[in-house]
Amino acid sequence: MAGSYFGGVWAARHFWIHLAMSDLRSRWRRSFFGILWTLIQPLGMTLLISFVFSAMFHTPIREYAPYILSGIVVWDFVVACAIGGSLSFVQADAYIKQYGHPLAIYTLRTVLTNLVVLLLAASGLVIWVLAVMPDRVGWSWLASITILPIVALIMWPSSTLLAYVATRFRDLPYALNLILQAMWFVSPIYFEEKAFRGAKLDYLVDYNPLYHLLQIVRAPLLQGEWPTMANYAYCFGLIAVLSLAAWLFGRSAEKKVIFYL
Amino acid sequence: MSNLISMRNVDLSYASTAFKERSLKTALTNLFRPQQRRIEVHDIKALKNVSVEIRSGERVGLLGHNGAGKSTFLKVVAGLYPISAGTRAVRGVVRSMFDLSLGFEPDATGRENILYRGLLLGLTPKFMRGIEAEVVAFADLGEFIDYPIKTYSAGMLVRLAFAITTAVGGDVLLLDEVIGAGDANFMVKAKRRIRELIEKSEVLLLASHDFETLRSTCERGLVLHHGELRFDGPMDACIGEYKQLNGLA
Repeated sequence: MAGSYFGGVWAARHFWIHLAMSDLRSRWRRSFFGILWTLIQPLGMTLLISFVFSAMFHTPIREYAPYILSGIVVWDFVVACAIGGSLSFVQADAYIKQYGHPLAIYTLRTVLTNLVVLLLAASGLVIWVLAVMPDRVGWSWLASITILPIVALIMWPSSTLLAYVATRFRDLPYALNLILQAMWFVSPIYFEEKAFRGAKLDYLVDYNPLYHLLQIVRAPLLQGEWPTMANYAYCFGLIAVLSLAAWLFGRSAEKKVIFYL
Repeated sequence: MSNLISMRNVDLSYASTAFKERSLKTALTNLFRPQQRRIEVHDIKALKNVSVEIRSGERVGLLGHNGAGKSTFLKVVAGLYPISAGTRAVRGVVRSMFDLSLGFEPDATGRENILYRGLLLGLTPKFMRGIEAEVVAFADLGEFIDYPIKTYSAGMLVRLAFAITTAVGGDVLLLDEVIGAGDANFMVKAKRRIRELIEKSEVLLLASHDFETLRSTCERGLVLHHGELRFDGPMDACIGEYKQLNGLA
């Protein structure tokens, strides 16, 4: 059963790749900087935030800025997949009403589109670190590439789950905004790990999957170290839980989506 | 002859939740609303105990008043709607033309949309390049084929969609009141093309209100009335039954 579902996803690959490509084309069309915005936007935010935060927390900006940039590019991906993914079925209603492709191809389209954006934005981070902290370069940098499949495998089932619910309850994206903001606030995304530890909030770091996810890029690029086994264990655990949840939920929800469109 | 479509005692109901609670807010407030103040919205039974067997080579017309369940029936055959009870078995590749403007990208040209719609139908880019010239020729839109399709008239859209859907082989062709939208010239071509498809021993299911089209294309007719299958037989008798049921005779 699972085999035939993913067989359907594979059979429709030309279609969802086309959809993702056309999303990217329309994203970069009709603007002067076009594709460059993907790089400029997180860099601009980083400059602004690191300027303020490094003064507030007395942290050297040279180290802190790339930390923030890594947080921004990964977090932007998570938010874009969650919000955009939750609307994937609603957005694709014309296709869903015409042809019975597996619905997960429409969330895969969103994840794939944002993955390309993440890849571009992350290259800005790599260039930054190369220019400012060249001593961190090493074999461990290879590990940072694994963030791409990991983060995609986390967000594909997540956005599929959200899309099932959001098709039924159209106001979910608003609630989601609030939840994501709360998650951002209690996670070491912009705030430093040591700020949490200093306030005896270690559990917000150690048991936080977002921390472990971010460590996969931060450990190699910012510290020149390999990510730990615990970092990977948390990520794969999260993938397993989310995939199972999406699968179980989708067994009954998948067929009913068309009635709610 | 083998049965391509086999439906036994098929029920289909649209859950009322689909149009009742559209937001988390209403779902939550309804929890606290006193029982008697709720507006009762019932599930809609779109198909009731429908049983049909269709063999290869048959041309079947669907008749019924608006809301009788014609489109729902076609969408069940296409596998888009899940049935609530009964069994449904459809063998072979299904090609459907329901809402023709759906799935077109208005900013892309006609030629690009041929590719896109082909991909939607699960075909490969290579295959679509192979049949592109044939589709362009059949749609016969002249220079407009390289214009964005938002510049097309409704009739031109129908021609393009018809050309694509019928150029791609399928075992079961489902049409929902679309043939009538082309001009007279195109109608002749479209009918010829449908006859060709039928000659390749494929099944046609056509929902329409146009008796002439039904008479000339289909030899077998089904009458749906409030979700029930009320008649299954030769087209002429079928039209008579439809008229009687709806007080037209």
